[in-house]
Amino acid sequence: MKYFAGIDIGSTAIKISIVDGKKNLLGSRISASGSMFYKYAQETLDALIGELNLNKNDILYIVATGYGRKLYKEANENISEITANAIGARAAASEFGEIKTIINIGGQDSKAISLDSDGNVVNFAMNDRCAAGTGKFLDVVALKLEIDVETLGESHFKSTGTPLSVSSTCAVFAESEIIGLLGNNHSIEDIICGVHYSIAKRIVKLVKRVGVKEGIYFDGGPALNMGLVHAIENEIGQRIFVPSNPQITTSFGAAIMAVDSYNYENS
Amino acid sequence: MSNTSHEIESPNEKQNRHKAMEAVKLLNTLREDFKSPILSMEYFYDLFERVYCKHESLHEGKTKIGTMCIQIPSEIIYALDGVPIRLCNGFYTDDEIGSDFMPQKACPLVKATVGQFASGNFTDKPDIVFSPTTCDQKTKAGATIESFGYKIYDVDFPRTKESEASREYWRRSVKQFAVELSKFQGKKLTKTNLEQAIKKIGYAQSLYHKISEFRKHEFVPILGLDVFLITNAFFFDKINNWIEATEKLVNELEQRVRNKISVSGKVSPRIVYTGSPPIFPNYKIPQIIEESDAIIVADETCSSNRMFNDMVAVDEWNIYDMMDSISDKYLKGCTCPIFTKNDDRIRRIIQLVKTYKADGVVYQAFAGCTVYEMEQRSVLEAMEKAGIPILYLESDYSPSQGGQLSTRVEAFIESLKTRRRNKK
Repeated sequence: MKYFAGIDIGSTAIKISIVDGKKNLLGSRISASGSMFYKYAQETLDALIGELNLNKNDILYIVATGYGRKLYKEANENISEITANAIGARAAASEFGEIKTIINIGGQDSKAISLDSDGNVVNFAMNDRCAAGTGKFLDVVALKLEIDVETLGESHFKSTGTPLSVSSTCAVFAESEIIGLLGNNHSIEDIICGVHYSIAKRIVKLVKRVGVKEGIYFDGGPALNMGLVHAIENEIGQRIFVPSNPQITTSFGAAIMAVDSYNYENS
Repeated sequence: MSNTSHEIESPNEKQNRHKAMEAVKLLNTLREDFKSPILSMEYFYDLFERVYCKHESLHEGKTKIGTMCIQIPSEIIYALDGVPIRLCNGFYTDDEIGSDFMPQKACPLVKATVGQFASGNFTDKPDIVFSPTTCDQKTKAGATIESFGYKIYDVDFPRTKESEASREYWRRSVKQFAVELSKFQGKKLTKTNLEQAIKKIGYAQSLYHKISEFRKHEFVPILGLDVFLITNAFFFDKINNWIEATEKLVNELEQRVRNKISVSGKVSPRIVYTGSPPIFPNYKIPQIIEESDAIIVADETCSSNRMFNDMVAVDEWNIYDMMDSISDKYLKGCTCPIFTKNDDRIRRIIQLVKTYKADGVVYQAFAGCTVYEMEQRSVLEAMEKAGIPILYLESDYSPSQGGQLSTRVEAFIESLKTRRRNKK
């Protein structure tokens, strides 16, 4: 059998997807990036192969992507996470309709990607080298509020007052703003709701740079946070599509790319 | 295309939420961040919270008369049984909405006002709107607002105030305004209702003057930020409620002065604030000033001092004399930079500095408010001649400008502190 892998090495997590020759997703695995990207990527891939009862030699082609993609030397090819994300999103949402825009929030950056009707990337915008409006930002908030990052979404919907906005766009300064709000006994739910809206506003600004269109797909770890999804939907004024496993879109795209590259090289 | 299930806000709901978020941020700061809070300020905090966070309407069943600038005489509106609603707007959310209809470099106040009309989202929607032809942007904004389906009545305002001809011209405009409003309201202006309205507003002004007296003390009993809030409330509040709350406040301040309870420290520099008007919730610069341990003791702005400073001075209580006196108050007392020459404004700033023993002046112009931007040159020159330290700043409504502005304000305040210490 012929199998293909996409490995997405991000700042926070390593995501791996394996597809068959028809680009069907067979399985995926997520692990923390930690300090040794290469080693952990290798271990994660082995674990996934084992989980799917595959043989290592059946993996015919590997495409690496993400910040750490160049560290994974065994890859047959590496592509930028923007290209991989676009391919993965179109495939993941095929039953829902056409994707025109992708919002991706990662551990250390956020992106808006605009696609043409053939799925080609026509424009993209990123906030680079700043944790504001990223997964890291949510981590910092959760840590300060002494709650699990996974419960932020639930808390969002429990907010009954006016969301308390955080005006600092810098994660470090925002932290001290949150301490100030907590010091004055404001409801944690209103703070969380305000944080989500602050991130949502930044994201919508990013999307506006590439143009707001119908058919918005949202992926990356923070897309698991339904409170943030709700805030972005309100700010952008339309529904967005969130895949069931939003963290693996980019690795899925890389795996699909692996199939195409393999077929092209062997044609 | 979607697989999420939560309701999405309508544009108006979104705008309301944005405004609530802006409002609550400032109100929390006022409630929590300063020492020795004033109990009777709670009425005003609560008022703004009700209107801007809970979106309560205050004047159901009354005819609301929208005014686009300070020059539309409230006395005539009250006499004709209307409620004046001043539509000068301080919300960044509305500024962003208005940006679609205005040049990019336009004044944020005008953009915000246009933005609110574009959205049609008011807690107390004006039934009729009067727009005095003051600055270019407000004058032209009238037509833009009309294109959204509102009826705007222009009230001709002269741009010179020295000549007798301009005085005549403005008196004619005010009469014309009274005729239009009278027709709209189906009510006649009489000696009695006009006199009552003049006296009521005069009384409200006298309360403001009392507050101002307290601010002259060495121990300043009230923040400039709180005073801006009180005067901004006069834009839209029920006048009787406003008077009642301000009476209570005056009593409390009287006690505070007696007990030497101060919101400022011994070295806190005393500031006179001038320039583009702080309108709720855009108190960005006043907030930076008072968070940097300085205290605003007086201002020369159209959203605060200029609304209350000059009284209607009536010789004979007959209707023609009252009308002329009202007109004069709004022209002769006005120190807006739209006038050809404006030595009055310089004189008033210097007078405020002396009367309130201020250490310096902060002059803020909205980026895009050309007349205030232009006039900074003559004001700065005059202050230099008079030996008064002055800081000139340009700002807008965007929330992300804080850092650079606060560094400049803090440095200015520190220099004033050093001067204060050296003087002693």
